[in-house]
Amino acid sequence: MKHNSKVMKKSIISSVYLLTILSIVCSCKNYLDVVPDNVATIDNAFTMRTQAQKFLFTCYSYMPKDGDLADNPALVGGDEMWEIDTRGAYFNIAKGLQNVVSPYGDRWTALYRGIRDCNIFLENIDKVPDMEETEKRRWIAEVKFLKAYYHFYLVRMYGPIPIVKENLPINADVEAVKVTRDPVDSCFSYIAQLINEATESLPETIIDPTNEAGRITLPIALSFKAKVLVYAASPLFNGNTDQVALKNPDGTALFNPTSEKEKWNAAVSACKAAIDLCHRMGLKLYSYNPDFQQYALTDTIVTQLSIRNSVAEKWNSEIIWANTQTNTTALQQLMATWWDPLYLDGTVTRGELSPPLKIAELFYSQHGVPINEDKDWDYNGRYKLRTATDDDKLYIRKDYTSAYFNFDREPRYYADLGFDGGIYYGQGKYDDSKSSELFYLEAKFKQRNGFGKFNFLTVTGYYVKKLIHYQNVIGTGNNYSVTTYPWPLMRLSDLYLLYAEALNESAGPSEEAYDYLNLVRERAGLQSVQDSWSNYSINPSKYTTQEGLRAIIHQERLIELAFEANRFWDLRRWKEAANELNKPITSWDLSQETAEAYYRPVVVFSPTFGTKNYFWPIKDSNITANRNIVQNLGW
Amino acid sequence: MNQIIDNMKKKLLPFILLWVVLLNSAIYLNVAYGNAMHSTETYFKNNPPNGNLERTENQIDLKQKKEIRGTVRDSADILPGVSVKVKGTAIGTTTDLSGKYILDVPNDNVVLVFSMVGYTSQEIAVKGKELIDVSLQPDDKNLDEVVVVGFGTQKRTDMVGSVTSINVGELKTPSSNLTNALAGRAAGVIAYQRSGEPGLDNADFFVRGVTTFGYKSSPLILIDGMELSTTDFARLQPDDIASFSIMKDATSTAVYGARGANGVILITTKQGAVGKAKLSFRLENSISTPTRDVELADPITYMKLSNEAILTRNPLGQVLYSEDKIASTADGANPIVYPANDWKDMIFKDYTMNQRANLSISGGGGVARYYVSGSYNKDNGILNVDQRNNFNNNIDLKSYTLRSNIDIDVTKSTHMIVRLSGNFDDYSGPVDGGAGMYRKVMASNPVLFPAYYPIDAPHQFVKHIMYGNYDQGKYINPYAELTKGYKDYSRSLMLAQVELKQDLSMLTEGLSFRTMVNTNRTSYFDVSRYYNPYLYTLAGYDRLTDTYNITNINEETATEYLGYSEGPKDISSTFYMESMLNYNRSFNKHNLSGLLVYIMRQNLTANAGDLQLSLPFRNLGISGRTTYSYDSRYYAEFNFGYNGSERFHESQRFGFFPSAGLAWSISNEKFFAPFKSTVTNLRLRATYGLVGNDAIGSPSDRFFYLSNVNMNDAGKSASFGNQVGSGPYSLNGVTISRYANEDITWETGYKKNAALELGLFDKLNIQAEYYTETRKNILMTRASIPVTMGLSAPIRANVGEAASKGTDISLDYQQSLSNGMWFSARGNFTYATNKYTVYEEPEYNEYYRSHIGSSIQQVYGYIAERLFIDDAEAANSPKQNFGEYGGGDIKYLDVNRDGQITEADQVPIGNPTVPEIVYGFGFSMGFKNFDFSAFFQGLANESFWIDAEATSPFAPYYSDAEKAANSSILNYTVQNQLLKAYADSHWSEDVRDVYALWPRLSSTINANNTQTSTWFMRNGSFLRLKQIELGYKLPQKILEKLHTSYLRVYVNASNLLTLSKFKLWDVEMGGNGLGYPIQKVFNIGLNVSFN
Repeated sequence: MKHNSKVMKKSIISSVYLLTILSIVCSCKNYLDVVPDNVATIDNAFTMRTQAQKFLFTCYSYMPKDGDLADNPALVGGDEMWEIDTRGAYFNIAKGLQNVVSPYGDRWTALYRGIRDCNIFLENIDKVPDMEETEKRRWIAEVKFLKAYYHFYLVRMYGPIPIVKENLPINADVEAVKVTRDPVDSCFSYIAQLINEATESLPETIIDPTNEAGRITLPIALSFKAKVLVYAASPLFNGNTDQVALKNPDGTALFNPTSEKEKWNAAVSACKAAIDLCHRMGLKLYSYNPDFQQYALTDTIVTQLSIRNSVAEKWNSEIIWANTQTNTTALQQLMATWWDPLYLDGTVTRGELSPPLKIAELFYSQHGVPINEDKDWDYNGRYKLRTATDDDKLYIRKDYTSAYFNFDREPRYYADLGFDGGIYYGQGKYDDSKSSELFYLEAKFKQRNGFGKFNFLTVTGYYVKKLIHYQNVIGTGNNYSVTTYPWPLMRLSDLYLLYAEALNESAGPSEEAYDYLNLVRERAGLQSVQDSWSNYSINPSKYTTQEGLRAIIHQERLIELAFEANRFWDLRRWKEAANELNKPITSWDLSQETAEAYYRPVVVFSPTFGTKNYFWPIKDSNITANRNIVQNLGW
Repeated sequence: MNQIIDNMKKKLLPFILLWVVLLNSAIYLNVAYGNAMHSTETYFKNNPPNGNLERTENQIDLKQKKEIRGTVRDSADILPGVSVKVKGTAIGTTTDLSGKYILDVPNDNVVLVFSMVGYTSQEIAVKGKELIDVSLQPDDKNLDEVVVVGFGTQKRTDMVGSVTSINVGELKTPSSNLTNALAGRAAGVIAYQRSGEPGLDNADFFVRGVTTFGYKSSPLILIDGMELSTTDFARLQPDDIASFSIMKDATSTAVYGARGANGVILITTKQGAVGKAKLSFRLENSISTPTRDVELADPITYMKLSNEAILTRNPLGQVLYSEDKIASTADGANPIVYPANDWKDMIFKDYTMNQRANLSISGGGGVARYYVSGSYNKDNGILNVDQRNNFNNNIDLKSYTLRSNIDIDVTKSTHMIVRLSGNFDDYSGPVDGGAGMYRKVMASNPVLFPAYYPIDAPHQFVKHIMYGNYDQGKYINPYAELTKGYKDYSRSLMLAQVELKQDLSMLTEGLSFRTMVNTNRTSYFDVSRYYNPYLYTLAGYDRLTDTYNITNINEETATEYLGYSEGPKDISSTFYMESMLNYNRSFNKHNLSGLLVYIMRQNLTANAGDLQLSLPFRNLGISGRTTYSYDSRYYAEFNFGYNGSERFHESQRFGFFPSAGLAWSISNEKFFAPFKSTVTNLRLRATYGLVGNDAIGSPSDRFFYLSNVNMNDAGKSASFGNQVGSGPYSLNGVTISRYANEDITWETGYKKNAALELGLFDKLNIQAEYYTETRKNILMTRASIPVTMGLSAPIRANVGEAASKGTDISLDYQQSLSNGMWFSARGNFTYATNKYTVYEEPEYNEYYRSHIGSSIQQVYGYIAERLFIDDAEAANSPKQNFGEYGGGDIKYLDVNRDGQITEADQVPIGNPTVPEIVYGFGFSMGFKNFDFSAFFQGLANESFWIDAEATSPFAPYYSDAEKAANSSILNYTVQNQLLKAYADSHWSEDVRDVYALWPRLSSTINANNTQTSTWFMRNGSFLRLKQIELGYKLPQKILEKLHTSYLRVYVNASNLLTLSKFKLWDVEMGGNGLGYPIQKVFNIGLNVSFN
């Protein structure tokens, strides 16, 4: 018994020992709760106004940065500007290298993320306690607009897309997340519906431009809606029989093969509503009229500046919507050439992105009609040489020998393009009475703006002047001062031309259509469409027929909005791309030193464009992940 | 199975209680039994029996029972812990702290066996003696008899689990990096080295391959119980290591719970032994030189092929080098004007010298024992130094270690060990590091400018070096990059550990308690000091007078004075505590042991960069082990780990990882006796159990159950205002980088292991093991979530499963010959393979795209048929969707025959990127005072890919890593060098070799040719003579004169020979061949001991 009690005692002690250890274990259960309270979660974004504003900005942050070569396929993915060997970007689209493995310019992922964030915002914004109801409504309207914009951007690229009205929960069923594409008509009507919802609470104008310019306003929403409805009515989306075969796995047709006139009617009223509001808000076509003017400029130069500044002057009177998420500094550096003979060794200016000859050919003659229609313009002799006289001195350097091609063209030709012998007004030399001091380009072989000097410089003989602000100056060292501006997404002239187009498509030529066309022509220093064609065209009644006026409006649009990343989309929308984008890219014979040899067109590249190219391919892996998504035809 | 575990988790607390109760009752029973025995003895002592009791096997022959006492010591002092056994039975005891023992023996005719690790066992017949004092002789041979296992030691002969122990002597290679000694040394370890740069030459090593796709696939490294990093492990001195164990299967690693799934490496450092101070030191000096160097084309070929690269793609393109320049360079005209640089030769030396020294003193007496060591390693790089600068820009890595292990007997039953150690790296080297210099040399143009211009008359007052450059000065002048400055870094590890052992035999015999507290601090910082070099370019050259002008390019930015930049400053601290209750007792033929251990660990990092990452890393766990053996024949072992990890949600936080094993020593069976002289050992073992891995996802995924939201992401900012360009109104946005998921938990490995041990003639030992593992709950990104969901972070779940299996075999052969010659050979072989069994992936239309059944390290790519003969063939073949291509570009196989090459044509190609087979074999022999050894190592079943982008000649190449890190090299104009092999074999319009090494040249990266394909796939197998050594030990007579007890001089060499089909660079570097090469080392050393 004695032994036993000793044993008992020992085992009790050992048990106590063990239980002590165990109790340490239990008391340390919280040892692993290392995360303190109030670690940021998504709820924190909606606890107060300042945080919610960050989320509003997040929704804006998905806006493609259109002024950036790498973020805007429409700049160089078509035929408007041609490449320099070493730049990849979206030239690969233009060169026919688009592919399904890793599509160039793919936005499927980025924009669906943007749409999800918009939906998160819409789901949660009502939780924010410290906000005025009106401001809350305004923010909701902005985000609805952005949601519409991102949907539109995808439709424009991919055609019919899956609409995301509401976010699917993270733990949604596997089958539920395998969405299908919605018919293109549903897509457009959903986009229009979103904009309609947004218009109820958007401000008519920005009250605090220093902090808010670039935020969505009612004129932006209405103008954008006009554009959306014009797209919906355009042949690519309205009665496109090429796309009949595009169907969901369950057989739902994604395109309506019959063209509906009503869509144009809807576009007409949307354009009209937008124009009326813009006018009411005081927007008008820009014309050069600065507060301070050092020199009494000639009309020629004033017209050119009106044309150039309507884009390159920030927040000018015709800017409806400019994208403040992007500026044009890099683009201007890339396009600017060495116009100043004093400073030829800078590397900031690159002289890249060259318009091909067909773009130069697109511009009207001085009479405001196409050069191959102008009775007085020798179209067949356009490659002959001609020497500039005193009359030409503000367009082409006096006594400089160039081709007829560059003479007697409309003001937009000289405002938009730089070329061999062409005057490059501004850029530090503003007195146009001393025309011999104005800068001009020399673009023959190994000349200062010519091919063969560096790895860059023009590849066609032309430069884009339009997007270069006229006050940019090249200085000593590597100095190039750039006056930058946010990328214009919608100008009044764009809206006017959309209206004219919609009017003509819905009811044929009309005075109202002419009027809006003429407003744009007038600012460009041209006579009215009626006068120009009646007096100078070999086809004087062209504007009186629907087909004729359609051609006129299309060309007017391509000229007026040149280099603003519209041609790429417009050619597709009109289904004219298959025609235009199969034409060869040509240049002057750049490796020639004499004018005789230089002014001969040579082929740079022969692009091909097929039906499949009207829409982007959907990335292969996105289809592998969701077999309910059908690939676009031809890819 | 999962459900069972879940249930067990819920019932775990009761389970532990039950376990404790069982253990307690076992203790109680034993105590009771022991006491009962004692009381019986006492009873019989007092009352001698007069009748015959029936004798059973386990009973003591009470008639002749006898008590023996004695003290065991060695030449210096008493020896505690010596096992005293009656030969042929399980009767035995161990000596106490004063070296004394008392043992009851059944009769007078028995023989006692005294044994202890590190000493030769001694057998003494009792023959009537009652007091037997013994003096044991030290013996180095038996060191591996006892194996260090998780939280304790086990006798090799009692092992159930799978543990490899490496003979420490084998780790003494001529390298300052311990990880480089691993390859081929231990069965079950896959190891390879990809770089030879001092400080960055850690080998990659895995235990039984990689069966996870978590971020951590390397084993858990524990040094004296403390978890440390690979670099800390790399800096460990082999001289200081007492034992080195690699734990591979479930029973040996389960006690580490959620962290043991990738195997465990357990190292203990030496302790002092009772005796006079013993001093020993080792000195080494080695010469190291690259095993193989990448060969570059000569400058003339470079220029010609550069022109070809441009013209073959665009006949109208502008070439960079005129015929005149090429001709003049070839003629050796003015070398300043027509430079032709061999940058590699200019930057790198052929060889370098390294030194290592190690000194240790150990000894002690009855109260305390000590082991103190210090070491100094100096590793130099192979870079040249410009004498005009007063700084050394070659790599100079000095590494110091100081270690002090003190053992103190606080009381008779209380024992304390204090371990203090520090490891310090002081580095000085080029601003970009050695690998960075290789990168720059490989990205520089050899013919644009000379390294520097000599001082000429117009520049006679210039004090700086006039480095050459071109155009805007953005080209890489490697010489300027090397000599412009230097970088210093310091890295340190301070470690303090105290361990307390309390013998609780007063409670019950065999019970002890141990607690260990450990903390360490690591720190790293670097500072660079450098000029902005003055760059000059050629401004004009008059051929007639052979005069030139040079002009400065970067007057505005260049400096004659040093600039300065600070690198990262990383500090981390770790605290670790373990408390352990240990029970170990044998009675008769039964051996029982129990272990219960509680651990907690915390790690903190400064400058973590993110709130969630800055929170402490913690682990908490309780583990246990019970072993039972009977009669040295049957063994059983049960282990468990119950661990928590703070990474998971409360409901998933703790995991229970049980394991069990059995072993059978057949050779100890009676029926086996006739064979025992031939088959000295035959043993079978088998284990099964679960082990976890919480290192899943990426280290930045700290808390899966929380969303991670960046409330201030500049990448999601938006700007407004009409002041664009001059301060618009801008706000950062919000990004979700992880969605909360409470269900995410660790991976679990279900491991099986079967082993056979075979000893023949007492000379040859074979251990063969076969294992399988099913890894479940592998974290995967859900493949079924289309991007139309708009998620900004992947959705993940524990859905993956993988299975692995393999074999490791080791062989040992030892033979001593009568004439004083001895010979030993050993070899080991590891085969580890794995495959996905469940892999969430999209519904592929092509069966071969599925990963199921493929190795985790399987690469998918295109099958390259050959090069296109001409453009026409390219145009008429299936469309390849990777950019421009034509004649001479790689033609891929349209596997699914859909008329174009897309991702759907990617098939599994080659072997896995981690070798499946690693083996090593070698021999040692000695004759009189000479010894000689050689060791070969190899690996097989591995593929690697030549990095087509990095080697693409003339191309402006920046790696993805450089782009992601916004590396400074992005500011340079990069032009890849031309490998000689490519210059010799490429498709050209003249030589249309459709099987040439390199396709048609291009001055940019041709995306068509750089796809992952079989074209650049290579076999990574090799066999190399890893080490060869010749030593001479001074004879005793001379030693006595020198008052030393041991002196050996030796020469050895590593990486002398390599057998591989791949010749471009050292094959072990894999696809990383343009980096700092692996080194071949010749070494001479001296080892001296004084007693």
